[in-house]
Amino acid sequence: MEIASSLITFLSFQPFFVAAIVTVLCLLLALLAVRSVRFPYLETPQSDGVDSVASANKVCNCVCSCNGGFGAPDSEATVAPYVNGGTASMVEKASSVAVAERLTGASMMEQLVPEITTHALSYLDFPSLCRLSMTNSLMRKAANDDNAWKALYHKDFTLEQDSVTPANGWKAYYAATRAIVTINADFFSIIKERSLPAMSHFWLNADYVKCVHASGELFSGYNAVIQSWQLAFNWEHGFNFQVRDVRARVLTDTAWVTMKTYVDIDSGPFNVTNVFELHNGRWYMVHHHSSVLTIDGEVEEPIVHA
Amino acid sequence: MSSSSSPMQSTGRKLKLKSKDDETFEVEEAVAVKSQIFKYMVEDGVSNGPIPLPNVNGKTLARVLQWCQKHADPTITEDELNKYDAGFIDVDQAVLYDLLMAANYLNIEELLKLACMRVADMIKGKSPDEIRRTFNIKNDFTPEEEEEVRKENAWALGP
Repeated sequence: MEIASSLITFLSFQPFFVAAIVTVLCLLLALLAVRSVRFPYLETPQSDGVDSVASANKVCNCVCSCNGGFGAPDSEATVAPYVNGGTASMVEKASSVAVAERLTGASMMEQLVPEITTHALSYLDFPSLCRLSMTNSLMRKAANDDNAWKALYHKDFTLEQDSVTPANGWKAYYAATRAIVTINADFFSIIKERSLPAMSHFWLNADYVKCVHASGELFSGYNAVIQSWQLAFNWEHGFNFQVRDVRARVLTDTAWVTMKTYVDIDSGPFNVTNVFELHNGRWYMVHHHSSVLTIDGEVEEPIVHA
Repeated sequence: MSSSSSPMQSTGRKLKLKSKDDETFEVEEAVAVKSQIFKYMVEDGVSNGPIPLPNVNGKTLARVLQWCQKHADPTITEDELNKYDAGFIDVDQAVLYDLLMAANYLNIEELLKLACMRVADMIKGKSPDEIRRTFNIKNDFTPEEEEEVRKENAWALGP
């Protein structure tokens, strides 16, 4: 208390002295503040490649949040000159960040011209393309591009349907096709497992469903169809399938798929057609037709009616 | 795969190129024609005097020409070339950006393909968050948009 009061009386008699102390204190505080900003830079080692850009970017973001905006490169570039005796590496890092972000705050991906982006995206698989679309609105637009998904469709499924214009765009069509192709594959898994319960769930319980087995027999109506599968599962053995040339056509609530199945050397190959209907958000099989594939050159003897 | 179908007659002539920051480069025709732009110039006989390239800086042009040189070398094996390409394209994003733009501008098919595949490799297998961090992409979705986007891609990535 006494010290304080004596200090105050002392100070009141020395205005210039007071001013000088205050100025020095302010300068010290300013230096400390700038130093604490600089520290992260000094701690990260300068390394080649993406690391330096990435680490500089990380620091960038730290300062960014202080500045409350994503105009990072500009603020970084301007901080450097104000610091006396700033290290060269710090200035370099700041400028490399600025170069990488082109002073507009956008990332490299967003800076590319559309034709380059399209080209780069053409090498992505569908999960990566989807994940890219989830990063931000600009990437969403680029990664949802209709032509990109059309190209991916032709790459992953078939070159057919080139003249088709899907009602909800090619990304949705790709998604629907993938769903149908997966369900079609499930059909063959069920046959391999010879699971009657699974087959019963797979078909639509309706009187108009039909099944034509490779034997040529036609079964009509849900019950008859399921029974025919029960028979097939009972006496046939060794369902080792190879399914090839799967072509799917998907409409709003109907889809049909053609394919070739190769069972073993003795029987097959077969031409198969499956038809599905969408009910309550679930695809059900409504038609299956399997017939022996005739190979060119092998002329079948004509069936003579007596 | 070579982009030129007809073998170029090696005239031993050199092309002069000038980058946007006024750096000049001299390069053999056989090397320069990796770029379709120069190929047409040479074929049309309009390659006298230094060719100005206002869209490419000296550093990048040097890199690109180095690549062209390597790929124009008839003695190099495919394995060596692949190894070279892998090392060549392992660069930071600033350099990658410059290479992409230069390869596109100069119409160098194989280099553009190499660079684009590199970008694709940087995206593949990463979660959206990891992709953002790699490229410093800012997430500007509103919570409603986030939900939309999640639903939009549930078919591919799960709910």
